[in-house]
Amino acid sequence: MKYVTTIREREYIIEIVDERHIILDGTPFEVDFNSVSGQPVYSLLLDGQSYESFVYSSEDRWEVLLHGTLYPASVEDEREKRLRAAAGGNIAEAGEFYLRAPMPGLVISILVDEGQSVEKGDVLVILESMKMQNELKSPRPGTIARMRVKAGDSVEQKQTLLSVV
Amino acid sequence: MFNKVLIANRGEIAVRIIRACRELGMRTVAVYSEADRQGLHVRYADEAYLLGPAPSRESYLRSDKIIEIARKCGAKAIHPGYGFLAERADFAQDCLDVGLAFIGPKPSSIAAMGDKAVARATVAKAGVAVVPGTEGEGALGDEELLSVAPEIGFPLLIKATAGGGGKGMRVVHHLEEMHSLLHSARREAEASFGDGNVYLEKLVEGARHIEFQILADTHGNVIHLGERECSLQRRHQKLLEESPSPFISDDDEMRQRMGNVAVRAAQAVGYVNAGTIEFLVDKDKNFYFLEMNTRLQVEHPVTEMVTGVDIVKEQIRIARGRQMRYSQENINLNGWAIECRINAEDAYNNFLPSTGQISHSLLPTGPGVRVDTGVYPGFEISPYYDSLISKLIVWGETRAEAILRMRRALEEYKIVGVRTNIPFHQNLMDSHRFMGGQFDTRFVEERFSMEAAEEGKSPRPEIAAIIATLVAHEQTQRAAHIIQRNERDTSNWKWISRWERMQR
Repeated sequence: MKYVTTIREREYIIEIVDERHIILDGTPFEVDFNSVSGQPVYSLLLDGQSYESFVYSSEDRWEVLLHGTLYPASVEDEREKRLRAAAGGNIAEAGEFYLRAPMPGLVISILVDEGQSVEKGDVLVILESMKMQNELKSPRPGTIARMRVKAGDSVEQKQTLLSVV
Repeated sequence: MFNKVLIANRGEIAVRIIRACRELGMRTVAVYSEADRQGLHVRYADEAYLLGPAPSRESYLRSDKIIEIARKCGAKAIHPGYGFLAERADFAQDCLDVGLAFIGPKPSSIAAMGDKAVARATVAKAGVAVVPGTEGEGALGDEELLSVAPEIGFPLLIKATAGGGGKGMRVVHHLEEMHSLLHSARREAEASFGDGNVYLEKLVEGARHIEFQILADTHGNVIHLGERECSLQRRHQKLLEESPSPFISDDDEMRQRMGNVAVRAAQAVGYVNAGTIEFLVDKDKNFYFLEMNTRLQVEHPVTEMVTGVDIVKEQIRIARGRQMRYSQENINLNGWAIECRINAEDAYNNFLPSTGQISHSLLPTGPGVRVDTGVYPGFEISPYYDSLISKLIVWGETRAEAILRMRRALEEYKIVGVRTNIPFHQNLMDSHRFMGGQFDTRFVEERFSMEAAEEGKSPRPEIAAIIATLVAHEQTQRAAHIIQRNERDTSNWKWISRWERMQR
């Protein structure tokens, strides 16, 4: 199976020949790849060179933490890549943005009202967690719709707080 | 004299204190909230009692319940650790009133040093220089603070009178923004300490934060255990501490001068037990008294590593009315120690706290490495308490050796389940300014960024690409296998029966 993996705008063509062999941009390597006791910590032996890293999966990409550096990587097989190219690439940034609590906590205050227009970077909500007050900001300009919480509410992780349209 | 100690705290510091008690052959009593039933301190202590629901106000701050538990279980002493009730004079007094030893200073010293405004006035009277601010003026209202601010000069700091750890603290650059900052500082102070009073202090720019560890016994002996460099902070929260300070290094004359001032400040309030005098030091080596922490500090291990003194044991010894085992002549700083605070904070996402269950943890070990922690695989990092997971401390013969050892230990340390600031520390260890000891209290926030730190390194994106691809590939394969599971099951049984036939 052939993959196109992109890290910081550089594409790597990686072909997985079998369990022990891969080809990276035309160069063959011998690999031995294992997860450490079923955890997202992986040990890679690449032609005898030993590497250990964390791999996190986020919504549409992977994050590889290697030697204290975080590499965001998107992995596509050739078919996916062709499909995306056919669709014309970037999807428009339309639709509603839902502000979700990044961690459980207590809503200290809400600095906006429904119907208010906001700019990118405006502070929307102050959420207290682990004794720290965290400012949650708007990722883009828009109008505040749907207020789901009020000051004083305890919220769960990923709970929707409000939305921006 | 007591033989059973109640530890009124949680997490790594409760574990640290239990360890000292154990080594001294004392019985230990843990207290815990509903969120901490699985806590290591509960498991390590000889006895453990429930305090109440998870929020601190209903558990670790319930001084009445804690004293009640101590009386019921027959503990004769209470160690408060740091945070929570550690610097509450009323709690210390309540303990004494019911005949419990408080392993810490006298209530009067906590009160004198705890109200930082009074503290500054007290040490200033003893001839110790302080940073300009609203010293000794008590709880001022917003109007008074706004009118006195221009006299102190900008930039200045709003600090919580009852506070510490950066809570309720704000930097003010202009008079115009001061009103709203006062408001948010008071709100945060009220939420954290139940006391919304604040005071102002001139911000010394390019300043280093250097503190001295003090020990004082009831026989009138007061000594210092040298300094700790604590300048590496973010939002006024310390991230890394070391001893000695690279700024003082081999300037023993300066060390003794500052140490003597620290001893004098402690004596000014009749101090007993362990405490810390914090100084701001400007680039010309002028130093000002900042505050005294009348408790054990988070970063006490770096001092333990270079002096060989077990500070917690010494605290207990002092609380039992004995003489310290050390005099000033016995105290020498040997080698170099560095501590990294490992927090459940995502270094790549603006240090946002991260909660969840620790599913896997591999601790660094080997020569010169110490880890103080209260978590283990299976433990849940909850949003109720601070984000400190553990303290990684290393010792080296020289600062260079300590840095190299810390690098090695950070690479070994694996925590899965929550995001941590380990990558931040790794980048810090590689920073030339850190290596050269060229930093002040603003360094982390103003001159250090994860992106810039990673730019200079020899990157291995192709290795990361291979790893990401193999993980993605494995996931696709596994999804395919689940569909074909019946087939595989059959073949497994076939395989076993063949194997059994072979064994006959």
